[in-house]
Amino acid sequence: MSHFTNNAINPQALTLMTNQANAQGQVAVKAVGLSKRYAEFEAVKNLNFEVFTGQTLALLGHNGAGKSTLIKMILGLVSPSAGQLFVQGQEVQAKRVNASLSLGYLPENVSFYDNMTAHELLSYFAKLKGVPPVRVSLLLEEFGLMAARDKRLRTFSKGMRQRLGLAQAVLADPKVLLLDEPTVGLDPLASAFLYQKMAQLKAQGCAIIISTHELGLVQDQMDSALILGQGQMLASGDLHSLRAATSLPSLIELHHVTPLQYQQLLSQALFASLLDPSVADRVCLRVPDALKAKVIQQLQGFKIHEFSVVPPSLQDIFHFYMASLYPHGMPSSAAFGSAKNVKSELVA
Amino acid sequence: MSQIRHLEQPSSLASYRPPMALTLIQVVAVKEFKDNLRNRWLWLMAGMLLILSLCVSFMGSAVSGSLVVSESAQIFSGLVTLAVFILPLGAILLSYDSFVGERESGTLLLLLTYPLARWHLVCGKLLGHAYVIATACLLGFGLTAMLLVALGEAHTRLALVTGFIHLIGSGILLSLVFVLLGYCVSLCVREKAKALGVLLLLWFVLVLVYDLVLLTALVSMAEVLSRHLFNLLILINPTDLFRALNLLANPAETLSAKSSLVLIAQSGMGIPLMYGLFVGWLAVLLLICCFIFNRQEV
Repeated sequence: MSHFTNNAINPQALTLMTNQANAQGQVAVKAVGLSKRYAEFEAVKNLNFEVFTGQTLALLGHNGAGKSTLIKMILGLVSPSAGQLFVQGQEVQAKRVNASLSLGYLPENVSFYDNMTAHELLSYFAKLKGVPPVRVSLLLEEFGLMAARDKRLRTFSKGMRQRLGLAQAVLADPKVLLLDEPTVGLDPLASAFLYQKMAQLKAQGCAIIISTHELGLVQDQMDSALILGQGQMLASGDLHSLRAATSLPSLIELHHVTPLQYQQLLSQALFASLLDPSVADRVCLRVPDALKAKVIQQLQGFKIHEFSVVPPSLQDIFHFYMASLYPHGMPSSAAFGSAKNVKSELVA
Repeated sequence: MSQIRHLEQPSSLASYRPPMALTLIQVVAVKEFKDNLRNRWLWLMAGMLLILSLCVSFMGSAVSGSLVVSESAQIFSGLVTLAVFILPLGAILLSYDSFVGERESGTLLLLLTYPLARWHLVCGKLLGHAYVIATACLLGFGLTAMLLVALGEAHTRLALVTGFIHLIGSGILLSLVFVLLGYCVSLCVREKAKALGVLLLLWFVLVLVYDLVLLTALVSMAEVLSRHLFNLLILINPTDLFRALNLLANPAETLSAKSSLVLIAQSGMGIPLMYGLFVGWLAVLLLICCFIFNRQEV
């Protein structure tokens, strides 16, 4: 259980990150003992992590886990209560004039200025960053918005708004891109487009931090994940190391199983215990990694040659940690509070 | 292919430099001005001021049974009375959602991730709103002034021009004071509707109630309270300051002797000092806005 009660970075993940650093380049974002407290509520507790150039970090957690607070701290909008945060080697200071152009940000549910056109909006943000106007047209073309450049934003679909938002975020060719729930409410095509653009940016050496609940989508795109729960780090590392850390069983789906073969399988205690009863229309086994080789070998004995092995998904891993954190089920977000709620109370 | 080449060569973009403070302020100001052109607030305000000033100037005498152009003192008295209601109200409507609206839509958070200090944003918005108000006042009052000067007698022209310059100048300053009050409230609340409610209450107190209470106090306690205290009480309300400034700039013989503003007229206080007080109001409110904004976490 130490992997989710320990606030310090997972040594396995750290080793992996170090290896990635050597392979992929410099540290783009680094947090050391990072905490944020609002009165009695601790939104972020003692976080340690690193993100490297050309790497995508998925920031996962339940609502109120501290993801948005962490993003705001990286942006310099919220000052940490303790610890240090470095972006491109420079320590972030809250409320600073963000002179660094190395950050790009797409907020969650941003509704830009509805009276503006796409071109006017990008031009406005370009002027604020000192980006030449020619870049605006290039980005509109690149993000498939050239045809709508003179249309008011109130007429834009959700997908178009998100594309425009991402274009805004990459205006000044950021070295670190922060995306807060970028695919919420998007259709699969629009989501695919965003992920495709992210892959391009990553290939250019941009470090991407993406906060999302759409685990199935982010699983194939991320290099590592940081799972937060109640403000603290529950786990971190790439998918492989997370699977190893959780020891969750893989799913082995057996194809073309005859009734006789099925009866033979059930007659063996090992297979009977591994059979997944929740899958009614297929024959599936939940097999821990330690038994995987043995099970596959024994399947040959039953003349079952067609099967597929599905390792635990990011969603399985996430549910594992959430179940460990809340063994009696997830409480409502109000029960454990969120930074937003606490701040509102403080303001009031 | 050009897009692909562009993607492959991001190094050319590494030379971006954040703009200078004045450039940033001007960028925000121009955006605010254009917003108010698009939503037609500017034209609405200018149109209202124009219609009202034309009515006061050319139809004001109708109540006395004649249809002649009013005398300049009467024109300014009427215009000041109307402007003191309309300009603060317009300024409130212009500014109440400046920050709370951007906070609700998420753009405030986004803007603060740009190389933009909070005071840049406040000053940029103020400058943009100053452009809007100045344009509305110049169009609304300026066109009437030009018409009156063209139609009026030669000896009255200078007084008319001077009077309108003071009316427009002090009107802009009065509006900006209320714009800044709007910013302060907009920064402190979390809902647009609440900001509007608070500001309308403030308008009601400063424009309507304050002067009435002061006049009552003047009549009932003239012997007890010092004249200097009354002067001070008048000058700390920007709407009374506006009235007093225009009263001094356009002395009206018909002004009610019971008006509290007569005290100012008799105090020997100069017009430059009153403009100075307006500037002081603006400076203090601007500092308060920046202070509130800097203390907030978004």
